[in-house]
Amino acid sequence: MCLIAFAQRGCLNLFAVIALAGPPCLVGQVSEGNPPADLAIKNATVMTVTHGTIDHATVWIHNGKIAGVGTSVDSPASATVVDANGKYVTPGIIDPHSHSALGDDVNEATSPVTPSMMMIDAFDNTDKALYQALAGGVTTELLLHGSANMIGGQAVVIKNKFGLSRDQMLFPNAPRSIKFASGENPKRVYGRRNELPSTRMGNFEVMRQAFEDAKAYMASWDAYNTKVAAGDKEAVAPKKDLKLEALADVLRGKMYVQIHCYRADEFLTEEAIAKEYGYKVRAFHHALEMYKVGDKIAPTGTGIATFADWWGFKDEAWDAIPWNAVMSMREGVRVALKSDSNDYVRRLNQEAGKMIQYGGATEEEALKMITLNAAWIIGVDDRVGSIDVGKDADIVIWNADPLSTYARAEKVYVDGDLFFDSSLPGLGTTHFHGVMHDAGFSGADDEVGDGQ
Amino acid sequence: MNQRVTLAGFLWLCFSLSQTSLAQTGPNNTDTTPAGTIAIIGGKLLTITHGTIENGVVVMSAGKIIAVGPAASTNVPKDAHIFDAKGMTVYPGLFDAETRLGLTEVEADANSNDLIETSDEIMPHMHVADAFHAESVRIPVARLNGITNAIVAPASEDSIAGQDAAIQLYGRDRDAMLIRRDIALAMNFDGSVRRKGSDDGSSKFPTTRMGLASQIRQAFLDAQSYEAEMQAAAKPDHKGNPPKRDLKLEALLPYLKGEKPVVLGATEGYEVEVAMEIAKEFKLKVILNHVTHAQNILDEIASYHVPVIVGPIYDAPLPSERYDAVYSLPAELQKRGVKIAFSSLGGSGDNRNLPYAAGYSVAYGLPYDEALKAITLNPAEMFGFGDSLGSLDVGKTANVVIANGDPLDVRTSVKQVFINGEAIPMVSRQTQLRDQYMPLTDNKKN
Repeated sequence: MCLIAFAQRGCLNLFAVIALAGPPCLVGQVSEGNPPADLAIKNATVMTVTHGTIDHATVWIHNGKIAGVGTSVDSPASATVVDANGKYVTPGIIDPHSHSALGDDVNEATSPVTPSMMMIDAFDNTDKALYQALAGGVTTELLLHGSANMIGGQAVVIKNKFGLSRDQMLFPNAPRSIKFASGENPKRVYGRRNELPSTRMGNFEVMRQAFEDAKAYMASWDAYNTKVAAGDKEAVAPKKDLKLEALADVLRGKMYVQIHCYRADEFLTEEAIAKEYGYKVRAFHHALEMYKVGDKIAPTGTGIATFADWWGFKDEAWDAIPWNAVMSMREGVRVALKSDSNDYVRRLNQEAGKMIQYGGATEEEALKMITLNAAWIIGVDDRVGSIDVGKDADIVIWNADPLSTYARAEKVYVDGDLFFDSSLPGLGTTHFHGVMHDAGFSGADDEVGDGQ
Repeated sequence: MNQRVTLAGFLWLCFSLSQTSLAQTGPNNTDTTPAGTIAIIGGKLLTITHGTIENGVVVMSAGKIIAVGPAASTNVPKDAHIFDAKGMTVYPGLFDAETRLGLTEVEADANSNDLIETSDEIMPHMHVADAFHAESVRIPVARLNGITNAIVAPASEDSIAGQDAAIQLYGRDRDAMLIRRDIALAMNFDGSVRRKGSDDGSSKFPTTRMGLASQIRQAFLDAQSYEAEMQAAAKPDHKGNPPKRDLKLEALLPYLKGEKPVVLGATEGYEVEVAMEIAKEFKLKVILNHVTHAQNILDEIASYHVPVIVGPIYDAPLPSERYDAVYSLPAELQKRGVKIAFSSLGGSGDNRNLPYAAGYSVAYGLPYDEALKAITLNPAEMFGFGDSLGSLDVGKTANVVIANGDPLDVRTSVKQVFINGEAIPMVSRQTQLRDQYMPLTDNKKN
């Protein structure tokens, strides 16, 4: 029970208990020194995402939060000043679809329905992929189960405080997300074992059956609770079932549903099933054919997390076009870009830059796809994803326009603390001094790590 | 009178061409009439060989560049179609030093793949020209981003994978697009060639790098013996039947004689060293390829005096390496005088992203002009096209690109591509899908 109900909030509570009980000796890497209470990044070109780009601006950070932004910010005289003359400043980049730091544990490909898998149980915080992403300006990632299963596992949301402990890297109080999949991967994984599903018909029927099972489970608990409420001392509690509890939480609307889905017809089927069972789809991931039905999906409020220009690697990616993101956006869909890759996560800014080429996005629209809209998909857009007063001070200083080919992340702050500085010798990390793991490159991909 | 076409009129031009030949709107050219004279005026020319010319003119006729220079001193023929490239950048078509174009369509669909024979590691008698699918949907997608020439190579899972072909990315059929067959021998020396742990099991030789190296040496020794045998049999006093022709060993002979280059793939420093030892033993003419994790032997690589196609700069650094160890490799090699080229392999392997790898290397220290050269003139020279491709020079094949900005920047859109002096239709299966569904976007805007 607690395994499901806790999600990552529970783990933070656990950490708090340990911290109260004694020194946090379980923590592997300890941050040296506290970040300054006040930090002022001055003279920068600040791309706020929500209220335009401001030249010669200051970003004032106070106790890990953004306390002021603009050309007339009164940061205190005691503030540590970073002169960013000629530099660009953006919010930290957010990747709403990653399998980094999960090693070979991306897919529990032994059943098409595995909703009680908790990705946090596989999270390896010393994976070099996190470091390399940090050096690319990435400060928040949604680490998802793979796409072997129609209903996969529950995601973990991290802040890329590379060098800190597993618990310290969790995004505090982030909503719970669960990964669903559809299309070729589930049918291939199970079909070649001559198991259900081996077709799209089978795929969706497996899902419907799972929700029927969950409804029956919920009904049995409702009946039991009704009896208890009526004073029935003979009532026998139904057996707790981790898998059905998780599905029940989907039906109760307690989890964001993130669906791996490529084809236009499947977006429509998924939305119809969600409507039938009364849950909401948060986002379609990959979503390479959204441009075909964006006008129909837009009213549902479902977003997408898509590739900039990937195509043709499989049949269901054959109709992918690089104009998908911008066309879908113009059709009214909330669009984010994502990596699904330990490689592309390092240069999501360039992937966003391509949106200017393919469809003529503005710089702000393009940047929003890898910041605020990505944050919305994860459900943390009230905390990160733009440079606004009150938000977490997750900030990147770039040498050049971040949407150009020539941009390098020079300094990356998370919660106002400097985690990466390219001017430092060695790795450029400020908190990491240990030995990195290689949690796996090939396995960290929906397409490769599907249980083959 | 000049027929003047502004950039806004490009679509109109394509339309007018399509009236003369309907198939012009599709990806393949079935029009056999030669292109007329075309002049691109007003653009910023990146010539590669003689600097940048603001407000320059390029004139193309009969498939060749016939004039390049500043507007003030370059004559525009009266009968020329004019492309007004004011505010635009004009540069030579890009040359991708290694692709799988025409060997694969949908990667996950085995039936569409002719990438590599894995039944044996020594396959020099495989000719990619025999499998090259000129009508691949991928070719128009790549050329719309300014890629006009490419090397097509088999995948790299064999020690000797086969013989590459050079292609032009436009033409009516494979004969027109294959500009040189069997241009180079594709060789590889890295761990991925080993059949360890594969479905075949591990009992078949070779399962180690020692095995791979000895197998390569034996293949070249066998070819040398074969040649000696053939030469002996060719003598007038030879008695008996001539030996049976061996296609496999025969295929190695031009490379043993140094007549053509061997494209030698090796990823890590020690692999490069072993591969180069073998190459020296047999006096092979080498282009190093896939060099990625060789930061420890940069000076040694420079001392080989061979050109290098750098490995994917997007390859992940090793856990012990700084995040930019691979990004900066092209700059480190170029600094040491090595002639470098990029290929589009790595990343998603999408050919159209070739210029962005070069641009990213600029962010990590490679001089801009060298980056541009590494996707134009350098690969052209490496493969023997220095006189015909890779720069805006009189006499060269008229492969020219007009874009609305810096070709290495991800934000730049290519507006028109010319191949063999022809304004190609800016149409691919992807633009067709875009245009088919664009009304949904337009309706929303209204």
